[in-house]
Amino acid sequence: MKGKELVHRLMQMLITLFGVSLLTFSLMYLSPGDPVEMLLEVADTIVSEETIAETRAQLGLDKPFHVQYFRWFAGVLQGDMGMSYSAKMPVADRLWQSLPGTMVLAASATVTMLLISLPCGILSAVYRNRPLDYLIRGISFLGVSMPSFWVGLILLYVLGLKLRLFPIAGGEVSFDRMVLPTLTLAIAMAAKYTRQVRTAVLEELGQEYITGARIRGFPMHKILWRHVLPNACLPLITLLGLQIGWLLGGVAVIEMVFSWPGLGKMAVHAIEMRDYPLVQGFVLWIAVLYMGINLLVDISYTYLDPRLKKGGC
Amino acid sequence: MKRIGKLTLVLMVVCLAAVFIAGCSGSGKKEADTKTLKVGVTNFADSLEPTENYFAWVVMRYGIGESLAKFDEKMNVQPWLAESWQISADHMTWTFKIRDGVKFSNGKPLDAAAVKASLERSFAKNKRAVTFFKYKEIKAEGQTLTILTEKPEPNMPGFLADPLFLIVDVSAEPARNFAKEGPIGTGPYMCKTFVKDKAVMVKNPYYWDGVVPYETVEIPSIDDPNTRAMALQSGEVDMAVNIAAGDIGLFNDKAKFHVDRIASLRTVLARINQQGVLGDPKVRAAFISACDRKVYNEVILKGTFIEGKAPVPPSMDYAFDQLKDPNSYNIERSKQLLAEAGWKDTDGDGILEKDGKKLTVDFVVYNSRAELPIYAEAVQSDAKKVGFDVKIKSVDYNLIDKMGINGEYGLLISNITTANTGDPEIFLNWYWKTNRNGDNPQNGSGYSNPALDTKFAELSTTFDRQQRRQLIIDCQQIIMNDGAALFLGYPETNIISSTSIEGAQMYPSDYYWLTNKIKPAKK
Repeated sequence: MKGKELVHRLMQMLITLFGVSLLTFSLMYLSPGDPVEMLLEVADTIVSEETIAETRAQLGLDKPFHVQYFRWFAGVLQGDMGMSYSAKMPVADRLWQSLPGTMVLAASATVTMLLISLPCGILSAVYRNRPLDYLIRGISFLGVSMPSFWVGLILLYVLGLKLRLFPIAGGEVSFDRMVLPTLTLAIAMAAKYTRQVRTAVLEELGQEYITGARIRGFPMHKILWRHVLPNACLPLITLLGLQIGWLLGGVAVIEMVFSWPGLGKMAVHAIEMRDYPLVQGFVLWIAVLYMGINLLVDISYTYLDPRLKKGGC
Repeated sequence: MKRIGKLTLVLMVVCLAAVFIAGCSGSGKKEADTKTLKVGVTNFADSLEPTENYFAWVVMRYGIGESLAKFDEKMNVQPWLAESWQISADHMTWTFKIRDGVKFSNGKPLDAAAVKASLERSFAKNKRAVTFFKYKEIKAEGQTLTILTEKPEPNMPGFLADPLFLIVDVSAEPARNFAKEGPIGTGPYMCKTFVKDKAVMVKNPYYWDGVVPYETVEIPSIDDPNTRAMALQSGEVDMAVNIAAGDIGLFNDKAKFHVDRIASLRTVLARINQQGVLGDPKVRAAFISACDRKVYNEVILKGTFIEGKAPVPPSMDYAFDQLKDPNSYNIERSKQLLAEAGWKDTDGDGILEKDGKKLTVDFVVYNSRAELPIYAEAVQSDAKKVGFDVKIKSVDYNLIDKMGINGEYGLLISNITTANTGDPEIFLNWYWKTNRNGDNPQNGSGYSNPALDTKFAELSTTFDRQQRRQLIIDCQQIIMNDGAALFLGYPETNIISSTSIEGAQMYPSDYYWLTNKIKPAKK
C-alpha cells in the first residue's frame, strides 16, 4: 500500500467514524429510556420531578439533539469523550479501566484458538475422508452449534464446581481465572476456524505444483510447511482479523458469565443505564478497531502476497 | 505424514496439559480460612464516593460506612452512631447525641462537628439529599448535633439512616480519594482496593462496636446468578447475596448452608385505572376477587414471593396480618359483582358485555423483572374465568413511568421499593393521594378519596411513632377497601452462607450485608 493510498484510507476512516457516531447517538436518543431516570431510580426508589429536571439540566440532556451531538463531537475532536453518567469519570478512563481485561482475554483466546484449529485443520485436510477427518469435523460441528454462554456454564460446572480445577468467581484478571473464559471462546472460534483451515489447506493441496512436488519425492511435512501453509494463510488472515476485532470489542456474554472485568460487561451496563457518552465511546472504540484491523490485514496482504505488491493494492 | 500427525497431537496435548496444571495450581479445595471472608455480590457502583448516584448503598453494604441511625429487621429505626435523639416542642429542631468513643478508621474521634461536616458534604454533593429534608442550620457542640429544619420532619431519624447520610471523615480529603480508595468511615472494615468487579476490605483497627473477626474481606461482583450460585456451592465464596429464586433449592443441605430469606421492602402491584371499565367499584372488586394470589406466589413462583394483600409488605411493622382484604380470592363473589354491575355474556364467547361493549382491560407490563410477565399471564387466565378479556401489553421498563403519569393503561404493573427510609408515607402518597391539577403526577389512575387525603394530611404533621403507625394502617385499609390496586406479592431477598461462618443476616432494608457479626463458626 502506497503512502497516497494510506492517506486516502485514513480519510475514509474519519468519515466512517463520523457516520457511525451520528448513527449511534441518534439510535440511543430515539430508543426508549431516560438516562436521568435510570440514574436516579436505580434502586426503584421514589424521586421528585424537580430532582429529575435539575439532573437533566446538569448533564446537558435538556438541550436539543443537535446541540447535544455537536457538543459531544467537538469534545471528541479535542480528545475529550465526555463524562460517563453512571461511572462519574471520564469516558476514556472508564474504557481504559476495562481494556486490559479484554486485551488479555482476546490474546489468550486467539493463541488457544490457533493452537487448536491449525493442527486440527491441517490434520483434517491431510487425512481427508478418513476417520480422523470425520472425528475433527464432527467435533467442530458440535463446537459451532453450541452457544458460548452454555459452553461457559458447562465448563464452570464441570471444571470449576465438580472437579475444582479452576476458580468460578471472576472479578480480577489473573491466569487461573482466565483459563475457563479462554477455553469457552477458543472452543467456539476454533470450531469455525478449523473448518476454514481445512478448506484452505485442501485447496492448496489440490494445486498442480503440490502434485509435482510429491511426484518428485519431497517429504509431505516439507511440502506442508514450506508451500501449502504460507499460501493457505492468506484467506485465513482476513478471518483471523475479524475474530480478533470481535474479541477486542469485548465478548459481553462470556464476560458476564465469568464475571470477567472487560469492555463487554462495561458496555452492557452502559446500555442498561442509557449512559450515552460511555456507549458512544465504546462504539467509537469498536469502529476504530475494526477499521484499524482491516487496514492492517490489507497491508499484511501486500507483504504476504508479492503479486499484490507488484500490481499495487 | 505420520510424523506430522504425531507432532501436532503432542503439541496440543502439551499445551492443554500446561493450561490445566497452571489452573490447578491456583485453585482446588482450600482449608477453611479464618482470616479472610469471601462474599459474592452484584455491585452496581463504579466508585466508592458515597455522594455519587446510589453508591453510598455499596459503601454501607461493604461495612465501610455507618449512619446516625439504622433499621432493624422490622424496619424500625434504631440508634447507631447517634445514641439517642429528641425533637423540640415546635417540631422544627432535632437534637442528636453522638455516641462517645467512636473513631473513624484513621483513628480520628467522631464528634458532632465531624458529623456536621459529613452531612453538609452530602447536601453539597448530591441533589437527592434535599428530597429527604431541607435544613436551615446544623449546629455542632461536643457530642451534640442540632438540626433546624425548614418544616416539621417527623421521620428525620429514618431519613438519616439512609446510606446517603453515612458519616465520613471529611478532613481526610483531599489526601484520600474517596472514589477510588473508599471513604474513611466508622464501619468495621475499610477499603484496601476497589474496582467495580472486585473490592478488598481490611479490618478497621479502631472499630467501636466489638471485635472485627476477619483481617481481610474479598468481595467479587459476580453478576451472573448461575455463576454466583456455583461459586457458593464450590466454597469459593463463604456467602452470597441474592441467590436467584430458582437456585435456592441447591442450598437445602442444612449441614452445609444457612439460608436467610425474608420479605423485602418491595411490593409487586398492578395500579388500576379508575377512568375506564375498572372505574366501577363493583367491577374493580370483581377483578381483584378473581385473582388467586396464593397460587401465583406459592405455586407458580414456587414460594419465592409472599402472597400479596396490602400496599406495605409484611417485612414492615404495619399490622399486615390484621389488615382485612375485602377482595380476597372468591370467584363466585366476583361473578356476582359483575352481574350486579350489569355485565352479561350475551354472545356466548366467555367475555362479558354491557351496552354492546366487551369487558376488555389492557394490562401493561415490562419484562426486565422475570416475575412480572408471569403474574400478568396468571391474572389474565384467572380474569378470563369470570368474563374479563385481559390484553397484556409488554413495554420497555423506561416507558412505564410516563405511561403511569399519563394514565395510559387499564392495569399497570410495578415492582417498587415501598419504604427505604423506614416509612411508607411517600410511597402511599405517590400512588393514591388525589392528583389535583398535576400536583401529584404519579397518581395518573384518577383515584381519589377525600377520607384518604385527610389521613395523608394528618400523617404529614404527626410525630408520634404509634400514631403514625396507626395512620399508615388506616390508609392501607382504605386503599384496600376501595380496590385501588391489585397487590400481587412481595419478593423475598436472601443471604446464603456456608456453615463455616455464622452471623450472616439479611435485613429488609438491604443496606447491611457485611457486618462484624459475621465470623467463623464455632467448631
